[in-house]
Amino acid sequence: MQVQVIEKLKAIPKIQKYRYGTIFLSCLLFLGPLALLPRLAGNTDLCGRLCMRRFYLYFPGMNLEDFFTHVSVALIGVVAFTTILVFTFFFGRIWCGFICPVGGFAELVSRSLNDRWKIEFRSLPQVQIRYGYLATYLVLLPALGISACTLCNFITVPRLVEALSGGVTGLAFIFSTIGLVNLSLLFLLGFFASKGRAYCQFLCPIGALDGLVNRLGARFGMTHHIRVDKQRCTGCNVCARNCMCGAIKMVDRVAVVEQLSCMSCHECVDVCDWNAIEWTTASRNKVPKRIKKGVEIHPEPDWQAVHFLPNKAAVSDWKRVNWARVANGLIFTMATLFVAATTLLLK
Amino acid sequence: MRAILLHIALLLLGFALPVPAAERHSDPDGCFSCHGLPDLQYVDENGVLRVATILKKDYYGSLHGSVPCKDCHRKIEQYPHKPEEGYVDCSQSCHVNEPSKGKAFTHKDVVEEFKKSAHGSGHAPGATKDFHGGNRLKEEKDEQNPSCRRCHSNTPYIVAANVAKFKEEFHHTDVECGNCHQGETWRNQFSGHILRRLSGSHFSKTEINALCKDCHADQALMEKVKLEDPKTQEKKPADYRWVHASDSYAKTLHARLLDAGAMEGASCLDCHATGGNRHKIERDEQVGASTHLDQLPRTCGQAGCHGYANKPFNEGFVNTDMHNVDWLRFDRLLLLLREKRLDSTWFKALAVLGPLAVLLLLGSLLWTPFGKRKGAIAALLGAERFQRVIIGSKPNKSGKKQQGPGQGLLTRIKSALGGEKPSQPAAPKNNPAQASPAPADPIPAKEESQS
Ligand code: SF4
Ligand code: SF4
Ligand code: SF4
Ligand code: SF4
Repeated sequence: MQVQVIEKLKAIPKIQKYRYGTIFLSCLLFLGPLALLPRLAGNTDLCGRLCMRRFYLYFPGMNLEDFFTHVSVALIGVVAFTTILVFTFFFGRIWCGFICPVGGFAELVSRSLNDRWKIEFRSLPQVQIRYGYLATYLVLLPALGISACTLCNFITVPRLVEALSGGVTGLAFIFSTIGLVNLSLLFLLGFFASKGRAYCQFLCPIGALDGLVNRLGARFGMTHHIRVDKQRCTGCNVCARNCMCGAIKMVDRVAVVEQLSCMSCHECVDVCDWNAIEWTTASRNKVPKRIKKGVEIHPEPDWQAVHFLPNKAAVSDWKRVNWARVANGLIFTMATLFVAATTLLLK
Repeated sequence: MRAILLHIALLLLGFALPVPAAERHSDPDGCFSCHGLPDLQYVDENGVLRVATILKKDYYGSLHGSVPCKDCHRKIEQYPHKPEEGYVDCSQSCHVNEPSKGKAFTHKDVVEEFKKSAHGSGHAPGATKDFHGGNRLKEEKDEQNPSCRRCHSNTPYIVAANVAKFKEEFHHTDVECGNCHQGETWRNQFSGHILRRLSGSHFSKTEINALCKDCHADQALMEKVKLEDPKTQEKKPADYRWVHASDSYAKTLHARLLDAGAMEGASCLDCHATGGNRHKIERDEQVGASTHLDQLPRTCGQAGCHGYANKPFNEGFVNTDMHNVDWLRFDRLLLLLREKRLDSTWFKALAVLGPLAVLLLLGSLLWTPFGKRKGAIAALLGAERFQRVIIGSKPNKSGKKQQGPGQGLLTRIKSALGGEKPSQPAAPKNNPAQASPAPADPIPAKEESQS
């Protein structure tokens, strides 16, 4: 068994080791009995003024003043969230991939467990589930009176870590009905999800909004995002297998990155033997950063940020409907209609 | 006993940080001739040591510094007097003129409001009959409801936290406003009296909550409380939810904000006594109570809080459970069962999700040392789908989506338990669209390239 563990550790690409390191470090800084960074703001958890999950909730008939009240309550969270989004626009989802102690903790635990007793969530229609839930979370749950705090990963993980170190607040939270439901969800969607990021991919509103910005940013050539050189990709699918977010899908034997899901964790870059996938700008004439096995690869790559495109068959064959797109459209339309209707009605 | 001591401590604390004040009345009844002596103490019939010393300096700096003793302690006629004669009726009017209006001052309004509140009447046996609002010394033994003194001690005229701000504002009114508004009247009425109120409230939100929690967080005490049914007048012990109201509040964001020092959170009184009527705490069932169903939109929609709560479509929001017992610790399971708490949606969710989580946990713990590891290791659930959707293995020529290999969860679990490789799946009988057989090994080795 020991040999296997060592082998497993050895197989981790070098940059990924750094990434695990930064996550571990931020777990120390953000979570647990120390909670050093939150303490700077007078908090022991990531709630209240640090909350990044609540201030954008939509309540029927709310006006700008109400919004600013929400913002002022969670001011530190708003500033942090804005910073994250700006960073994401230019550099990809560095917060989610390298820093976030909430998603990171689940990932680290999941990666240290065996791969057999896991659930593979990555191939589910992620975008539809995530944004369907996001729309529900933003416009429906508030009106229904379901508090954002009841299904919150940003309270569950910090409290769990606190409980593990014997903290009273954490224990009291974990051993409540709501706490146990949250813990079960963390088990099912975190620890025992393949690669541990299912909670991030489905239920985290921060990640969902961050994903939108990531995709927007990837449309600009000067920003750093995970991009694929279609000419170079051999279709070996190693990247897709390793991507913890299920962001890479093989389409016509070319790796295609779904920017809504990608967390710029760089694992795909590390495992691709063909330099076909990079965290880079789209500019041309760039010397490849890494030359594998002493071979420099020509021609110069033409990096593109690729998204999931409608199926070719779906375009040519009118009988086949691209249900994924229909679902996206429905989610967007319903949410917009709800907001528009309530705003107009309650004017 | 402890509570009594606590009161004394509170009382003393109240005197501990006074604003030094000049002599504000001449002690017409000569009370200070005894009570001004240091170490004036006696032991009451309960064996509690009581301090009867009133320091002049502290008294003059207190809220009631300008009120002569006998304005409140009216029953004391002669020396020596019994302790009970010190009782105070706060609804009496004192002889001091309230500076801003110039009328004799009284707390009568407050006492009337309090009498009608949940604390003054309603479920309180006997509280209405001879409620005088004053300083019952033995209240925690005989009475369910609090008297004025349970929450109010004779605190400094300006609480320590507000002194700096008050001084600054006082200086401003003296210098700037004082150009035109001159004389003692202005100083007394506006600069002194009104400004004191403008410079900040006497109790902060956390202090208010501390007052409520002084009783309501004491579960043993709360379990003894008997609530009167408004219709049948029947007195029953309060239910689980009521007893733990302070606990469940502590889990809300309102409380957590206050705990972290963010004053945006709502205190107990912010919802239970709205509109400046700080003593009008009523039960939810009471029509007109701020927490009554009909009033909730107004209560939640107070200025600076949830402005949208008044608008339609927010009925769900205003009914959000602010004392949700599902946040409470699980350790009182029997009590939970008795209170039929199993109806809760959270319980049902837990009944489904909990066992699943435990199953995975146990399986994973057992598999790590005992499981067999031949070939590639695939996840328990969803590995085929991953293969098909993400990797796109074996699409058939028409480009149609390949149907699932039909390997059910049961097969997977069996094979996982047995540590065997999954067998060649049988094609589902009622699935005519199955075009090609599934690959024998659904998980190609890591390095294998797609052919
Ligand atoms: S529990 Fe979650 S949603 Fe609620 S304040 Fe904390 S971080 Fe925000
Ligand atoms: S998606 Fe949410 S929980 Fe996951 S890493 Fe990002 S912010 Fe953290
Ligand atoms: S690992 Fe590289 S070559 Fe292989 S599919 Fe991914 S991008 Fe293409
Ligand atoms: S696409 Fe690459 S960088 Fe993005 S999440 Fe997947 S492995 Fe990480």
